[in-house]
Amino acid sequence: MPGRIKPKLAVWKFASCDGCQLSLLDCEDELLAVAGAVEIANFPEASRAVVKGPYDVSLVEGSITTAHDAERIHHVRRVSNFLITIGACATAGGIQALRNFKDVRDFTSMVYATPQYIETLNKSTPIVDHVRVDYELHGCPINKHQLVEVLSALLNGRRPNIPSHSVCTECKRHGTVCVMVAHGTPCLGPVTHAGCGALCPSYNRGCYGCYGPMESPNTAALAKGWVQLGAKEPDLLRAFRSYNSYAEAFRRESEDHEEQNH
Amino acid sequence: MGRQILIDPVTRLEGHAKITLHLDDEGAVEAAHFHVTQLRGFEKFCEGRRFFEMPYLMSRICGICPVSHLIASAKTCDAILAVSIPETAANLRRVMNLAQIIQSHALSFFYLSSPDLLLGMEADPGERNLFGVAAAHPALAHDGVGLRQFGQQIIESLGGRRIHPGWVVPGGVAEPLTAERRDRILAGIPEALSRVQRTLDWFKRTIESFREEIRTFANFPSMFLGLVGPNGELETYDGKLRLRGETGNLIHDQLDPQRYAEFIGEVSEPWTYMKFPYYKPAGSEHGFYRVGPLARLNIVSRCGTTRADQELAEFREMGRGAVLSSFHYHYARLIEILHGIERIEELLADPKILSKDVRAVAEPNRREGIGVAEAPRGTLIHHYKIDDEGLITWANLIIATGHNNMAMNRGILQAARHYVSGDQISEGMLNRVEAVIRTFDPCLSCSTHAVGQMPMLVQVVARDGTLVRELRRN
Repeated sequence: MPGRIKPKLAVWKFASCDGCQLSLLDCEDELLAVAGAVEIANFPEASRAVVKGPYDVSLVEGSITTAHDAERIHHVRRVSNFLITIGACATAGGIQALRNFKDVRDFTSMVYATPQYIETLNKSTPIVDHVRVDYELHGCPINKHQLVEVLSALLNGRRPNIPSHSVCTECKRHGTVCVMVAHGTPCLGPVTHAGCGALCPSYNRGCYGCYGPMESPNTAALAKGWVQLGAKEPDLLRAFRSYNSYAEAFRRESEDHEEQNH
Repeated sequence: MGRQILIDPVTRLEGHAKITLHLDDEGAVEAAHFHVTQLRGFEKFCEGRRFFEMPYLMSRICGICPVSHLIASAKTCDAILAVSIPETAANLRRVMNLAQIIQSHALSFFYLSSPDLLLGMEADPGERNLFGVAAAHPALAHDGVGLRQFGQQIIESLGGRRIHPGWVVPGGVAEPLTAERRDRILAGIPEALSRVQRTLDWFKRTIESFREEIRTFANFPSMFLGLVGPNGELETYDGKLRLRGETGNLIHDQLDPQRYAEFIGEVSEPWTYMKFPYYKPAGSEHGFYRVGPLARLNIVSRCGTTRADQELAEFREMGRGAVLSSFHYHYARLIEILHGIERIEELLADPKILSKDVRAVAEPNRREGIGVAEAPRGTLIHHYKIDDEGLITWANLIIATGHNNMAMNRGILQAARHYVSGDQISEGMLNRVEAVIRTFDPCLSCSTHAVGQMPMLVQVVARDGTLVRELRRN
């Protein structure tokens, strides 16, 4: 687009493993095309150059775990026109949200000799608990093709074409035999957001929910199905408490199985 | 009055890592601290989980080296099952681990460090990045992207995706390798070899211009620790531990990694979340050692592949006995990429790599397991205990970056003493202090993540807390 100012893209990191923002670097073939279409204004993993905000698009990775970060995300929101959260940490608090169900002091005292120096919040929370989010891209980690789709949709002023159905649909499309029906393997696929390409079932394993809950999941019905396959309450509790444990649908379902334990 | 210089990365590592330099009354650096200030708590929240979930839970520690955690964790589970996994499974895991080392080293060398090496430590920070490299030296940037892609595509081809792949499971791997996938990987080998050879040749030609950095970048005597194969060759998946001293003297060899707790102790400091491991027999004061590419090339008897062994012979001329400057982590990384490519080719050339026998199945036979592998950044130790139900009751992780913690702190002090004096803080000085950290390529997600390419806030603060000077680098 000659003569037009390129949109500015910024990448921000909070508590996370860096995997989602590295997905952007993994787009080897698309990276240069994206780099040509946008001005990468703030992407510490790739460049020290920082162009001043405001930014047209911000990609936010990671969850909020410190008081400082809880303030910093408001700054990110202020300087961002369109804010996209990427990955399970940013959209659901991530694996570190498992601590939300325990006392954080147990954590610090177990690992560190002088826990009083550790300044951390009790809970690991998703970005949307703190500021308005314009688009959420799920997954642990995100699918790089979905990331490219979201960015190119934005650049071209259209809605991203990201399916909101479950992993089951992906299995059917690939011709993968249902591990739950055919092998009796408990699987989270029926309630999990599509995006991974139904990876685990293609290895004859049950889905373990990396992409978090799909739109309107019927987790209670799935839990009954698991029980019929021999799963016990603690199994259900653990199944819904992994990478997306603090996503509302999974959190509620896990709490149901926790209460029945007592 | 004593003052403190704070190098606080304000974007990516905010709340994660920072550097403080403590000045004495004359403005000379008297102490340097590398702080890690974020907690994710993996060792605690895995309690109560089923042991066989651990490889997938633990791989989430890090998006840069997920495969290392996956493999160390799966090996720990193998120990709990008390099985000897099929040879093909071990070799497939070995291929994946080497691919991981290749892609991670390529990220470190080309994406994070080559801008400093190519464009100079004093270059405009706005241009000192991968895109700057791509503009000034397109062939080199292309080789870097290509090498990382080579490693990542192997991981994807084996494990289904590049970051947090499944596939590696307790007892082996989930699926055998198909001939088609093997051939696709093999087809990429000649190009990958020429890419790394070109880079090595260029690096060796340029090395003379970094004399000052070589002299002052964490260049000091230390011990070196890592895994070696049965004949002392470079081995990153399995093997026994070897410890060499500063003159190349053998301190400990063929040490069973299952006994790590007997010879590795850990101390905590109040100003950082990252613990300080040390070699117990030497005590916490003198027992510090380095791990990672430099350490591995210092401890091995040979790489075990033709071209890497030729390069190793040249590399060894950089030191007497052991190569001591951490600047040469960069050099060692390139040689390890070369070794990784050659070794993958060897492993895939063996027809047995297509065997369908890739998994041993068992119930837990032991209450405790230890799994050790070489991650890109050094020796990685996972250690779990389980109860009767197979639920985790306790976990301990010693991560590669942690082993280097003492060396990094000493290295920053050394570089800061050389380049920093009083209020005279230049951009180039800051780069060098940061670049010392970068030679170790610390993974600070595993303890959080590299002080990579980021803006910095430097504050000179008086002891009473007043701000004397502030330098913001954007």
